[in-house]
Amino acid sequence: MEFFFDIFQNTIDQFTNPKKRVFVLYLFLSILIAALWLIFYKKKSLLQSIKFIFNPKVFFSKSATSDYKVFFINQIIMLLISPHLLTQITIATALYFFFFEINFIDMGLFASTPKYIIISLFTFTHFIVDDFSKYIVHRWMHRWPFLWALHKVHHSATNLTPMTVFRTHPLEGLVFTLRSAFAQGVTISTFVYLFGGGVDLYTILGANLFVFLFNVFGSNLRHSHIGIRYWKWLEYILISPAQHHLHHSIAKEHYNKNYGAALAIWDWLFGSLHHSEDTDNLTLGLGTKDDQKKHSLKELYLIPFYESFKFLKRFFLKLFFIRKIKKNKSEIYYKKSPQ
Amino acid sequence: MKKLNLKTKLLTSLTCISFGLTGLANAGAHSEDVYGPFPVTLKGYSGDCTNTVSYSGQIARHVQHDSLKYLSTKGDYDEMNAYYSGSDKNKQIWAPGSKDGFPIKQTLLNDISSGKNLSGKTYKGTITAWPENMTAPEVIDFWMMKAADNPKDVSVGLNYQQLLSKFIMGAVFYNQAVDNYLDEKMGADSKPNDKPYKDGACYTGKEHSWDEAFGYWGAAAHSLLLSAEDNYNIAKKKDLAAADYNGDGVVDLKSEYVFAHAYYASSFDKGGKTSYLEDITRAFLDGRKLITSANGEKLSDAQRSELMAYVDVINENWQKVIAESVFKYAGSTYKSLVALESVGNADLAKEFDKYMKYWGELKGFSMALQVGKENIGETATKLNRMIGFGPMLLDETQITGIKGMMGSDGKYITSEYEMGKIYSMNDAKLHMLKIQKLMIDQFGVEARANDMLADMSDLASKIGTSESAEND
Repeated sequence: MEFFFDIFQNTIDQFTNPKKRVFVLYLFLSILIAALWLIFYKKKSLLQSIKFIFNPKVFFSKSATSDYKVFFINQIIMLLISPHLLTQITIATALYFFFFEINFIDMGLFASTPKYIIISLFTFTHFIVDDFSKYIVHRWMHRWPFLWALHKVHHSATNLTPMTVFRTHPLEGLVFTLRSAFAQGVTISTFVYLFGGGVDLYTILGANLFVFLFNVFGSNLRHSHIGIRYWKWLEYILISPAQHHLHHSIAKEHYNKNYGAALAIWDWLFGSLHHSEDTDNLTLGLGTKDDQKKHSLKELYLIPFYESFKFLKRFFLKLFFIRKIKKNKSEIYYKKSPQ
Repeated sequence: MKKLNLKTKLLTSLTCISFGLTGLANAGAHSEDVYGPFPVTLKGYSGDCTNTVSYSGQIARHVQHDSLKYLSTKGDYDEMNAYYSGSDKNKQIWAPGSKDGFPIKQTLLNDISSGKNLSGKTYKGTITAWPENMTAPEVIDFWMMKAADNPKDVSVGLNYQQLLSKFIMGAVFYNQAVDNYLDEKMGADSKPNDKPYKDGACYTGKEHSWDEAFGYWGAAAHSLLLSAEDNYNIAKKKDLAAADYNGDGVVDLKSEYVFAHAYYASSFDKGGKTSYLEDITRAFLDGRKLITSANGEKLSDAQRSELMAYVDVINENWQKVIAESVFKYAGSTYKSLVALESVGNADLAKEFDKYMKYWGELKGFSMALQVGKENIGETATKLNRMIGFGPMLLDETQITGIKGMMGSDGKYITSEYEMGKIYSMNDAKLHMLKIQKLMIDQFGVEARANDMLADMSDLASKIGTSESAEND
């Protein structure tokens, strides 16, 4: 009984907690931004805009309904496994202890820094480190076949809705949780070690100031059918919703582009940036012949396990095989050597 | 209007009923929640005893410990030893003594119980936390000799008053209670409930064994009627009203005072995160009621297993109280180590004095943790290695051993300073943090006074969970 209550509470929390992406206020602001975009940029009437935003073909599509299912199922799975996962505190403590052993960096080296600077620096660093680690892990998700097998679940969405953010394989959820724990653990331990007890976070409604701003300015439109584009110069810094839509496009020229979450800087730096285009005629999904068949729970939960394992096995076999070749080569070398 | 009236009436009558019930419950709780008196259940007893609760011997030992602690800074070995090993004379109670607004009934040890000592009840195993394979009585004797010479030895950083007090609480009270009275003496064939504890006694074997363990715990008989704060204030001699249960205007050490680990439990509980004092004292009371309910018959297997469940509660929580103390003083020692790095010459002596005190408390409690019923094995090894035999001194040297024969008044051997050596002041700080983590991981301490890693956990909870199954 308590378990069901926890599921219920966690589900409600996603919509009522300002630290979460689909907090109702953020959803509402995304709708508002979408309406303004449609009215002033796309020159639609208010009624047309509303009809476009709440298009039932999008929200009741096969793709969207499978998003909702995955959302609920993952709530249950995460509730079961989260107590067993590595936490940011474990990582932070281990790193903090490690810093003590580095004798040339003294604890509290910068403890005399004015408090507002420490807090600003921590708030900013936490956001940057978190965003950068998201970029890196996302890139891996696309580059490593055994991770791509999992990440495909997210990309199998043929319609994007704010709930697509939850369209994630549970194993991928594990990877993301580790990423988050690691990013937080590094920032927290480094700051507390160097700046002492004055470290704090600037928050609005309990969320990191920058995370709050990211969400207020329409983060939910990244997964939507509203292709808002920014000015070109801004798309070097921040990823526009349209840029993320391209990331979901099946067109070859859009492959492996725009991995960034909030910041586009990482894509720019590492050569994966693609500026936005008009997204009205974009096809989303994996680009296979049977994309519409990828919305079943079997495809979303079971197949990825099998595929990921297959690639992982292949990877290790390759590793082992190459070693064997190297070993044989060295044996040959020894045979040839004068000794 | 009519409806409202009815509602008001209903509310009024409900309030009256609930007040009445609360009153009744309070009246009931008043006697139900006090440890004793308990009636005679022993079959065939014909004396005039009416209350079988008796633990004055334990209270005498608490007082001997408190008095020894007081005397440990006065430089007189024989006087200290008279309280540790006992004396034929009716000795004065040095502590706890009366103070303004807090008069204590007893002034002489024999007013409580005569012929008692601490040495005979001290844990006899080897103490690996101290050099030279000494037994606990030997360690205590060694410290008393050192204390008589110099109670606060700045040259090695030892505060003998703290070492003696914190270790004796473990090696006598904790050890006797959990490893003797609540262990062997709760066995089916040991001290049976259908026989007197000793010839002529009005209490049974089990009744008295249980009472003795309660006595060592140190709570007042009426502790359960009071808040943690009240209990704490009794031990601090600040609240006569809370202490004086029978209302005779004086505090009876035999039943109205809070001693030793019960006091430490109250100090943690008043923070609101834990309820050690209540949980342990309640388990003692419920266990005693269970024994009484056997009505002088041998305890059945079912009764004994029920009793052992109370023992488990007591053991686990008592160990936690000591672990909380280790946690707390590891934090204070850490703070002192940080302060010592930046303190000016004018305040150096004062800060170093604090450092010695905190380290002494840490060492004493950590040694106490090792003399319970459970062999804490690897945890003990870690604690002993990280704490050492003496605190890290300002020249980055520390005690590594003792010269001379076992138990003799030997001189300390200290490490020599080496440039670039691995063990430094920074490592000493790190050890304190690791000790705090060890207490969390091994014993699940919750009060966590002086938590030096709290900054990180506070930040982490502010940021929010790292759990995420979301694709940004």
